[in-house]
Amino acid sequence: MDQRLLPLLPQVSKPARYTNNEINAVHKEWDHIQVKIAFAFPDIYEVGMGHLGYKILYSIVNGRDDSLAERVYAPWVDLEAKMRELKIPLTTLESGRELKEFDLVGFTLQYELSYSNILNMLDLSGIPLLSRDRTDQHPFIMAGGPCAFNVEPLADFLDFVVLGDGEEIIHEIVELAKEGRVKGLSREEQLASFGKLPGVYVPSYYKAHYNANGTFHKLEPVKQGAPEIVYKRVVADLDKAEFPEKFVVPYIDVVHDRVMVEVFRGCTRGCRFCQAGMIYRPVRERKLTTLKKQIRTLVEATGYDEISLTSLSSGDYTCIEPLISDVIEEYKDLGVAVSLPSLRLDSFSPALAEEIQRSRKTGLTFAPEAGTQRLRDVINKNVSEDDLYEVVKGAFQAGWYSVKLYFMIGLPTETEEDLDGIVELAQNVLEIGRKHGTGARRPEVTISVSSFVPKPHTPFQWEGQDSMETLRAKQNYLRDRLRQRGMRFTYPRVEESFLEAVFAKGDRRLGPVLARAVELGCRFDGWSDHFQYQLWMKAFADCNVDPHWYANRAVALDETLSWEHLSPGVSRRFLLQERDAALGGRTTPDCRFDVCSGCNVCPQLKVANCLSEEGARV
Amino acid sequence: MSRVIRFQFRKGQELRFLSHLDLIRTLERAVRRGRLPIAFSEGFSPRPKMSFGSALAVGIMSEAEYADFEFTERIEPNEFMTTFNSVLPTGLEVIKAVLLPPKSPSLMTEINAAEYKLVAHDTDAAGLVSRIKSLQTADSFVVERKTKKGIRLVDLRPLLYEVEHPQEIGSETAIRCRCAVGSSGNLRPNELCIMLGMDPFTTKIVRTALLIKEDGSYQDPFDRIEGHNAT
Repeated sequence: MDQRLLPLLPQVSKPARYTNNEINAVHKEWDHIQVKIAFAFPDIYEVGMGHLGYKILYSIVNGRDDSLAERVYAPWVDLEAKMRELKIPLTTLESGRELKEFDLVGFTLQYELSYSNILNMLDLSGIPLLSRDRTDQHPFIMAGGPCAFNVEPLADFLDFVVLGDGEEIIHEIVELAKEGRVKGLSREEQLASFGKLPGVYVPSYYKAHYNANGTFHKLEPVKQGAPEIVYKRVVADLDKAEFPEKFVVPYIDVVHDRVMVEVFRGCTRGCRFCQAGMIYRPVRERKLTTLKKQIRTLVEATGYDEISLTSLSSGDYTCIEPLISDVIEEYKDLGVAVSLPSLRLDSFSPALAEEIQRSRKTGLTFAPEAGTQRLRDVINKNVSEDDLYEVVKGAFQAGWYSVKLYFMIGLPTETEEDLDGIVELAQNVLEIGRKHGTGARRPEVTISVSSFVPKPHTPFQWEGQDSMETLRAKQNYLRDRLRQRGMRFTYPRVEESFLEAVFAKGDRRLGPVLARAVELGCRFDGWSDHFQYQLWMKAFADCNVDPHWYANRAVALDETLSWEHLSPGVSRRFLLQERDAALGGRTTPDCRFDVCSGCNVCPQLKVANCLSEEGARV
Repeated sequence: MSRVIRFQFRKGQELRFLSHLDLIRTLERAVRRGRLPIAFSEGFSPRPKMSFGSALAVGIMSEAEYADFEFTERIEPNEFMTTFNSVLPTGLEVIKAVLLPPKSPSLMTEINAAEYKLVAHDTDAAGLVSRIKSLQTADSFVVERKTKKGIRLVDLRPLLYEVEHPQEIGSETAIRCRCAVGSSGNLRPNELCIMLGMDPFTTKIVRTALLIKEDGSYQDPFDRIEGHNAT
């Protein structure tokens, strides 16, 4: 760490965020390394340390002899104020060096409301915010992650963007950086070399054009050879993909503080609101034996007492039951528990409940998403009320007393009936808990209701978000009806969901707004206590941009979308077809277990669903 | 036959910002990395059988923290020290370990005093000496303490047992103090600084001993174990 921070630490909250020296942190000889990358997470340490993607990249880059990776997180507001006062720049944890000293700085784009932190971190580093203002003395600012699939609001600030899986392309980036150094390439030449990599998008190679009515016209390549469409990178065989043998083990409490293995990547359930389900296709499972080996190695290297089997829907893993029972068997005397963060109702069997129960009881969360079968058919969430009741009955009988249910409001075609459906489902679940609970504790049902945010590359990308007034009225409607004993109702502020929608569907005209908002003091927008809606509205007004035009307007089907050049491989035709099916209330089956749904990812990217052989279903 | 090991460990500069909970978590994970056969409590959510002396405030270093670990089998203290030190992060180090005889009282119930070394830079040594003198003759030293129930007045004077004459080493001034620690009276290191007129943010504070004070004499947690087999 940067020793200049040391005297400040007794005066700030959670000083151990900044002190480094965790078990398995990698410290390399700076002068012996050719390519240096700072992985920057646009949120605090406790959030960033839970992110599996960064652990993977950190491990790959540090696994090479010629490159090093160091970590940097957003300082919390108390330390930031002191750093600004004393003119101390942002530095990495490992070597305490300024970001300027690295060849590349990589940001992850997990969430629209973290964008302000990216700009703020650049500013704290003394790196020019605008890509065009950077020179040979500055690192390349790269980014990746889910929001890369509509990175246009950040186009002015990023030098290049990586679409899709990072395991392979990170090697190629390191190689090119090394080669560029040997050849003594100029910044422009080096950027051009990165730009030739499949999966890399260089925003400055394109110019955006808009129609007189404000709609998007087209993105024109202004650099020779810049592709019309950038397709994402896919690791075809996840089982062979690199995975860390060590995780940095934090001292302080962080999110997802446990061993994580990725049982599979991608999901083909096809929920129509879900961007992850579209952009991470196809499904690629790891083998049972591979996962067990990874778990063993990581438990030994970290000493964690919890193993998390992660993916977008871990119950869908073809070998989930043998995996869980084998792992529990192996660790039962060591006090190590197993958790499944994402469970689908229809994949949660009583046998599975029994297995997890043997290990330790964590809360159970299910996501029916909508209150009626009709609306669940619209969004293609193919679970029934009976699935839910069956599962929660099993869970209560197995000893759980607390169940959390996720729903969304503001989904396309929603009516009052659908809201009533949420209340009814919650009541029925609570009733089942009272009837079948083991009685140790009074059953509790938490109903968490978020507001629908239309996302690019989904069948609902053309939809407008409900107005904030409408969403607020719906929240109030539910709150009044869920005020019951044993029920807890939680919901994020509509202003946050609104801003998320603006940036999710935003284009390059939002760049100046973002810069202005940061200038006005916006940061940590994902933290309700720090989200400053009024400042954001001032930023929009100052830049003469109407945020409602982005969030609430339904986009006409014949308009060109401002993100169509950033492709996860899913075709527009498929999205339109799914949109039609949604509005007609027709469901589409999962292509893993049924016929191909024609999303076009497999032929386009020359990949296929890949299920673990040991447990392949017939 | 004892399966409990009592050990003394150091918490250094590198890890001084860890809270007590962070420290426990760190030790638990080290136990697992070292594959030490720790015993678990029975019941609904089994916990490793680890108990500690007095919690150390965030930001304070220590030469003398104590813990008792219970294992499922007998482990030789030497073996424990070697294995555990090999998996502990820089900044944590076991410096002494013994087998704890059965029915020994817990660290928590016994420890009631602590010794701190306070080191300040460029301080007014003469002023400090007179400050100590007046403290020693004072009957009380009342301060406000923030508690969960609000602000409370506490007399710190009876909690301060001994203050050594300051020692000057170059530009640094060091003072050793003994004071109350634990549930029946606790003098916080930052309060100690305030009593001595030192800046709690910049003064380097090291806990140098945890003690059992009885009838005016002090013993450390190893002295208490009859016929102990220290290594």
